[in-house]
Amino acid sequence: MPRPFHRDITFSIDGREVTAPENTILVDAAKYGDVEIPVFCYEPKLGQPVGACRMCLVEIEGIPKLQTACSTPVKDGMVVHTLTDRVKEAQNAVVEFLLINHPLDCPVCDKGGECPLQDISFGWGAGVSRFIEPKRHFEKPLSLSPLVAIDRERCILCYRCVRFSQEVAEDYQLVFEERGAHTYVSTFNGHPYVAPFSGNIIELCPVGALTSKPYRFRARPWDIEQAGSVCTLCPSQCNVSFTVRDDRVLRVLARDHKEVDDGWLCDKGRFAYQAIHADERITRPMIRDGGELREVSWDRALDEAAAALGRARGKVAAVVGGQTSNEEGHLLSHLVRDVLGSSDVESRVAGAPSAELRVALDHPDLQATVPDIEFAHAVLVIDAEPVDDMPIIDLRIRKGVRRNHVKLGVATSRPSSLDPNASAVARFAPGAGEAFLAALNAALGGGGVLSELAEAAGTTEQAVRDVAALFDATDLVILYGERLLSGPRADQTARALLNVAGKSFERGRDGAGLMEIPAGTNSRGLREVGCVSDRSPAEIAEAAAGGDLTALYLLHTDPLVDLAGEWEPALDRATTVIAHSMFLTPGIAEHATIVFPAESWAEREGTVTHPDGRLQRLRAGIGRPGDVRACWQTLAELSKRLGADISILTGSMATAQMAEHVPIYAGITHDELGGQGVRWQERDAASAYPGDVDFGPFGLEAPPVRPRPSGSELQFATFRSIWGGPEVAASPALQFLRSRPRVLLSPADAQRLELFDGLAATVAPDGREAVEATVHVRDAVPEGSAFLESDVAGVVGTAGIRKAEAAVVV
Amino acid sequence: MSPAQWPPPEGVVQPIKGPQEIGGPKGVYRAFGETLRGLKTTFARIPEGTTTYQYPEEKVPVYPRFRGRHRLHRFEDTGLEKCVGCSLCAAACPADCIRVVAAENTPDNRVSAGERYAAVYEINLSRCIFCGYCEVACPFDAITMGHDYEMSDYDRADLIFTKEMLLAEPLERTPLRAEGE
Repeated sequence: MPRPFHRDITFSIDGREVTAPENTILVDAAKYGDVEIPVFCYEPKLGQPVGACRMCLVEIEGIPKLQTACSTPVKDGMVVHTLTDRVKEAQNAVVEFLLINHPLDCPVCDKGGECPLQDISFGWGAGVSRFIEPKRHFEKPLSLSPLVAIDRERCILCYRCVRFSQEVAEDYQLVFEERGAHTYVSTFNGHPYVAPFSGNIIELCPVGALTSKPYRFRARPWDIEQAGSVCTLCPSQCNVSFTVRDDRVLRVLARDHKEVDDGWLCDKGRFAYQAIHADERITRPMIRDGGELREVSWDRALDEAAAALGRARGKVAAVVGGQTSNEEGHLLSHLVRDVLGSSDVESRVAGAPSAELRVALDHPDLQATVPDIEFAHAVLVIDAEPVDDMPIIDLRIRKGVRRNHVKLGVATSRPSSLDPNASAVARFAPGAGEAFLAALNAALGGGGVLSELAEAAGTTEQAVRDVAALFDATDLVILYGERLLSGPRADQTARALLNVAGKSFERGRDGAGLMEIPAGTNSRGLREVGCVSDRSPAEIAEAAAGGDLTALYLLHTDPLVDLAGEWEPALDRATTVIAHSMFLTPGIAEHATIVFPAESWAEREGTVTHPDGRLQRLRAGIGRPGDVRACWQTLAELSKRLGADISILTGSMATAQMAEHVPIYAGITHDELGGQGVRWQERDAASAYPGDVDFGPFGLEAPPVRPRPSGSELQFATFRSIWGGPEVAASPALQFLRSRPRVLLSPADAQRLELFDGLAATVAPDGREAVEATVHVRDAVPEGSAFLESDVAGVVGTAGIRKAEAAVVV
Repeated sequence: MSPAQWPPPEGVVQPIKGPQEIGGPKGVYRAFGETLRGLKTTFARIPEGTTTYQYPEEKVPVYPRFRGRHRLHRFEDTGLEKCVGCSLCAAACPADCIRVVAAENTPDNRVSAGERYAAVYEINLSRCIFCGYCEVACPFDAITMGHDYEMSDYDRADLIFTKEMLLAEPLERTPLRAEGE
């Protein structure tokens, strides 16, 4: 559905002539005339208004009864009154009525001081209550989930949380139980409300009925300050506001940005802030001395690092983690390439398409934006699970499907949580993305035999045709996971993707395009500032293990945890392993020779680039703990000690330095980015993007036929869940959700292998170490495939799965 | 007078009477007379007896509404703290000298009557201006201005009173003024 267009109309409110877009809800239209209408249940983010709380009653001339302003669209010539005696009487009555059962325990309530009910009672209430009877009582406080506390006495039944659960997150867990004065919010089966987006109901609640357990009683609104920044825990790059008290982050709130996050946050972004203040954090530089890491002074660590890098000139490789900012990426690339004369600075997790193909895929003409997902005619998700890889996009897709009738196609190997919303679902074998794209290309008339290609992809002809039917749409947005384009046949896959894209939309059309769901937060920015090398990380590991590379620089990454490939021998063999890290993850604890403490995402300055090209600014919300120094400072200092002519004294100088060297970011400053960021495609500097690009169509090779696994072997892929990563592991509140090794099996395979739900299984992937995992039998898993939850994503192949010798693990 | 009339016209300026001439027999007489007038007041007070307080042995009694050092209170029956750590005193404090960090009561560790209690309650008395707004703001009458005024110390840090210090009975009670005194 294309973006709605509204003409402006004029209406009168409290005697003022106000111009507003037609059909705007009256509450919003009134704001154009600086008139505030009090609301509780109205929240435009939640979709259709329900008019549950009756707080917004106004008088409209020509309608005998008072109307709810939250559900009345404004029309031309409407005459509205919000200050008449009738309206006042109604407002007083509603406030009095809402407060009948409200316990008024504001001094102990966490919402006190930032509570709409307090504000509205004060502003629009009568100030007295005639109600002297005993109030309704519920048991309190109760846990709605390990993250959310519920106090039912305070609830005013505004419906917001239930609407969120039913219509936004679509987990359908929250419901109203009982009727009348006995109504209360509950999960429908009484189980805890555990969902990836459950924390949003805390922010939605207009009273103190739903409160955050980790934030419970930590501070009051006048004790705290809000510090806006961007969450860097996943590629969604949601705009957040850190609640800071005594230089500690106590809470994370959403900072509504329609073009990025729509005002929602996932529970990882909302609650993983606890990792910032975890005791395990590294706060001083460390050097390996006699086999053990010891804390040393910055001077000593920098000297040692500079000396070691100087010795390894030409034999240095850097691996860059997804959370690295553009500035850090640029400075590291400068250090390794210009100062140390090496060439390997790699930010991608596995093999990637060639530079020319990458240029075509990232071309501004092919780029979709986040709001495009919501207003497209159709959206196709290929080889990505948005809820794990980029959670907020999941909500955006659901919003488009539910409210704007976007047609959704899901083509993945692992069953997706979006399947029920999709009008076309195709399952292909793990790692068969190329074959699927080739089949789709054939179905769209691009050559090749559809039945053979579908067979090679491990899917059915009909499924491919169903997905191809989406391509009738004018505005089609294709979301593809980075893992689709990784692996040895990345070039062929990228060509197939470009062929498919060429058949789906006009190049340069607004509202249609491609968007990547990257593996790392800032993958796009790092690629654009030059953290790409000719060698894939696996090849770098091989070179290091063979002794060709003697120094490894690990920036915000631990290859043992994050990357596929044989990293153990590489880290063993390298003489120098320099790491920037917040935590001593296994690879760093075992192998790093010099460790610099890294800043958390609440302490950093710099910029990151959203997968749709929006550069956003990271601002420091709190001071750096202990001896932590800014990463750009460390990198610039190392360059300087190694003889480079570089002088960077502030975060904005680092940005300026980066902008100077990256043509498409030319001239970007923190001021220009402001609080909302800016898409580089919309700036003048975008003309520096390479001009002659081959968009295809390409002739496609036949994809290799995958051998069918036999016996107890299954086709196998790993995936990283939203709850993976050291940040979740270090957050006490999220422990119950922490990613654990789980293996998803189809019922048929489970039966054949004599495994059942909850049993421990040994998963032995081809050529890799066996892992013990809990079996989860899922109907939606296609027979013959198994999926393992693990921090190392993107391992594809076959695996033998058998009952573990140990007993049941939990 | 408007500035337009500056300098003022002749005759508007009235010379004031200068100081009386100092010295001479008139001056001696005047000084002696004034001394006697003062001594009259002094001697008239002799029958009233001494009014000097032998401080610090003897404390100056204060009025009941005297705003001295704060005190936190407990419920007399249950012994629970009245303070629920709502921080309203901190919000009301114009000198920003109160710091409250709240925590949650558990069945094993019930400190206050409400759901929350003040885990940390500190008043920096070297900053406090004894305005009494905290007392006014408190919804549970948990904090009141006491009668103690002896708060001098050798170290500024010792003037940060903790919850335990504020809850404790003062070592020596400050005497109250009697009715009508």
